[in-house]
Amino acid sequence: MDADSDVALDILITNVVCVFRTRCHLNLRKIALEGANVIYKRDVGKVLMKLRKPRITATIWSSGKIICTGATSEEEAKFGARRLARSLQKLGFQVIFTDFKVVNVLAVCNMPFEIRLPEFTKNNRPHASYEPELHPAVCYRIKSLRATLQIFSTGSITVTGPNVKAVATAVEQIYPFVFESRKEIL
Amino acid sequence: MTGRVCRGCGGTDIELDAARGDAVCTACGSVLEDNIIVSEVQFVESSGGGSSAVGQFVSLDGAGKTPTLGGGFHVNLGKESRAQTLQNGRRHIHHLGNQLQLNQHCLDTAFNFFKMAVSRHLTRGRKMAHVIAACLYLVCRTEGTPHMLLDLSDLLQVNVYVLGKTFLLLARELCINAPAIDPCLYIPRFAHLLEFGEKNHEVSMTALRLLQRMKRDWMHTGRRPSGLCGAALLVAARMHDFRRTVKEVISVVKVCESTLRKRLTEFEDTPTSQLTIDEFMKIDLEEECDPPSYTAGQRKLRMKQVVLALSSGEISSYQDAIEIELESSRPKAKGGLASLAKDGSVEDTASSLCGEEDTEDEELEAAASHLNKDLYRELLGATPGSSEAAGSPQGSGRPPALQSLLDPLPTAASLGISDSIRECISSQSSDPKDASGDGELDLSGIDDLEIDRYILNESEARVKAELWMRENAEYLREQREKEARIAKEKELGIYKEHKPKKSCKRREPIQASTAREAIEKMLEQKKISSKINYSVLRGLSSAGGGSPHREDARPQHSGSARKLSRRRTPASTSAADPVTSMGKRLRPLVSTQPAKKAATGEGLLPSSPALGAEPARPQAVLVESGPVSYHADEEAEEEEPDEEDGELCVSALQMMGGDGGACPVALVPRGPLHWDGVSLWQGEPDQVSACVCSTVGWAFPELGPAACHRLPQGSSKAGTVALLL
Repeated sequence: MDADSDVALDILITNVVCVFRTRCHLNLRKIALEGANVIYKRDVGKVLMKLRKPRITATIWSSGKIICTGATSEEEAKFGARRLARSLQKLGFQVIFTDFKVVNVLAVCNMPFEIRLPEFTKNNRPHASYEPELHPAVCYRIKSLRATLQIFSTGSITVTGPNVKAVATAVEQIYPFVFESRKEIL
Repeated sequence: MTGRVCRGCGGTDIELDAARGDAVCTACGSVLEDNIIVSEVQFVESSGGGSSAVGQFVSLDGAGKTPTLGGGFHVNLGKESRAQTLQNGRRHIHHLGNQLQLNQHCLDTAFNFFKMAVSRHLTRGRKMAHVIAACLYLVCRTEGTPHMLLDLSDLLQVNVYVLGKTFLLLARELCINAPAIDPCLYIPRFAHLLEFGEKNHEVSMTALRLLQRMKRDWMHTGRRPSGLCGAALLVAARMHDFRRTVKEVISVVKVCESTLRKRLTEFEDTPTSQLTIDEFMKIDLEEECDPPSYTAGQRKLRMKQVVLALSSGEISSYQDAIEIELESSRPKAKGGLASLAKDGSVEDTASSLCGEEDTEDEELEAAASHLNKDLYRELLGATPGSSEAAGSPQGSGRPPALQSLLDPLPTAASLGISDSIRECISSQSSDPKDASGDGELDLSGIDDLEIDRYILNESEARVKAELWMRENAEYLREQREKEARIAKEKELGIYKEHKPKKSCKRREPIQASTAREAIEKMLEQKKISSKINYSVLRGLSSAGGGSPHREDARPQHSGSARKLSRRRTPASTSAADPVTSMGKRLRPLVSTQPAKKAATGEGLLPSSPALGAEPARPQAVLVESGPVSYHADEEAEEEEPDEEDGELCVSALQMMGGDGGACPVALVPRGPLHWDGVSLWQGEPDQVSACVCSTVGWAFPELGPAACHRLPQGSSKAGTVALLL
């Protein structure tokens, strides 16, 4: 087994965060009072709205900016965002669906081996930081992809990145490094 | 003797006289070097009889400590802000470091880190204490001292993660690769705190050995070192017949009790724990264990498999009953999909999901979720009995185990279906969306009926509104009061609208090809003082706008007057072309030489009583420095007053400061304009200098209270304005 053998790594996307704008001012109180699936946080000035199918939670600001979290794929995020925009339209706002953007993707990936964290950190110095006093995982940053990986000794890796593609590339990039400092099978 | 060679004669016999501070060649007598800085230390005898070194101690850091003559009071007067920051940092580092009992070397290193951090502006936006703690911890890590970040956070009463963040940032930005923590470092320290008396060494050795073993068994990766130390010390203490309770240990190592217990149970799971004490001291087991969390995960997985095997194979009657019940209620358990999965057929599910859902579905869904809840409660309640009866190996009453028990076949199927449905929906909807880009909302794949369900009908909305209004009655009242107040204030005209905060934009650096342009731009950008008559200033610059010569004049400031006059002469002689001559006259006349000043001052004195009244400070008199030759030539031009008025002749008046060191220069317009010009300077002296400074761009030292005088035409050829100190 060598580093670039085609081991199928399942990258499980657990969260996709996206934002979009409605280009209109949203009366939060109206949303709060007429929607069934909302929580109005008056002191913060936002409304949380939840949807089923896709199961997402949206934060609605009165400026018309909406942040959707909880989707498990980019398509789903967009679908959810459009549904949300539609429900706002139904509430009587002149919603225009613009500036849709996926801002963050969180994914989990399991390596089929254990990783020697101290060794791994030593080999990948400037990018990796391992502080067991603060966090059990090694934090590895890939600047070019704007991705951050949390590498655990058990072999599970949590990746955050700006989009699904970056996350996948990040895992591909990290694989040879973690493979290098895996625990030898005796 | 010095090994040097004389430049004059090539002789090597050079005598150094430390007292006089020179080096002389003894062969030819030429002085090779004088004013040598001596490196010898001299001592003087004080009146008490003791001797002390001559000189002053100059510390390495901070210009603030350089010896100042005549200083004494105003200790921090001449000190730079940066130096003060560093001094403060040093003080804090010493304070904190002494509490941690760090040695001087560590403190110095920490201070160096701090200096680096300051010079890289890493202290901005962070608390000083945090940065200093991070610096100290960085040293602890690089030097390998047994200090934890927790100790620092304990001392500072700051959250350890906040400190950790700062520490990580510093380590990253300063490119310091702190070595990974070795838990062995802390053993002696904790052992000392646990007071094992004479056996301290032995106990720590045992603890170290335990720790090494734990490390090999992967217990140490990703774990806080203190917890591991605690477990090792606890076991070691017991091995050496010390009675140390868990509580005592946790108070020393500062971890939670459950953490310590977990470490102990983890250690229990390793093969080493099966050895007797004697065996442990002698034998080193070869094999390594998997990380505990990994094994835990594996065990969970295995349990699932076992459960699966059990459910498919020999099924106890209880499980059978559960299964049957599950089968009957399973479709309902899936929330949103409940109504769809009931039929069990994939086609039905897909079509109904994609198509419309009617109100019946809604009811079904509600019923399903209700049932679902009940079922789960029932199952959870029944768990211990059932799983015990089943005789499954896992601990009873664990929700995940139950989950896995309940999960087997239908879930996967229904999940798969829902995924595929979701996929087909999203692929349907996403494609046309991409084409349309932003703008109108693309409605494909969105069923309005379902969305409608999210929106309350009128009566519901009314009820909710009522509830909300009641709940927030106070807030609403406050809002109303506020509005009323604002309205009232608006009526009275005292209402101040809160302007949105301007985003702090960095000013673009002024791009200008000439200095004049740069000044204009700068004046545009910021108003320097409210006391400056800007319209006049603008007129001033527009009048003189055509000439590029003003910029020429600036560098000449430092040039000698003679040079200036020399330059002027050709200019004025070529007065045939009035434009050029005017241009030339716009050039500020600058004189820097006292000799010149004396000469011009002479001419002024009889005609100006104001000047005469101040005989004590003749140097302070400032005069246009136009040389005689120049004015003689210019006289023809002087006779045309219109032209004079129109043009703006800026004369540079120079002042000598009291000690003659500083030469502030003021530009004052000549001709009738300059009376307006005088009004320019009617502000505070500071503003005068500021204005002048800004106009000219020269740095001005202190300018005393100024008064402007127009001198009679006769004394100095053109209308000259003297600015008196």
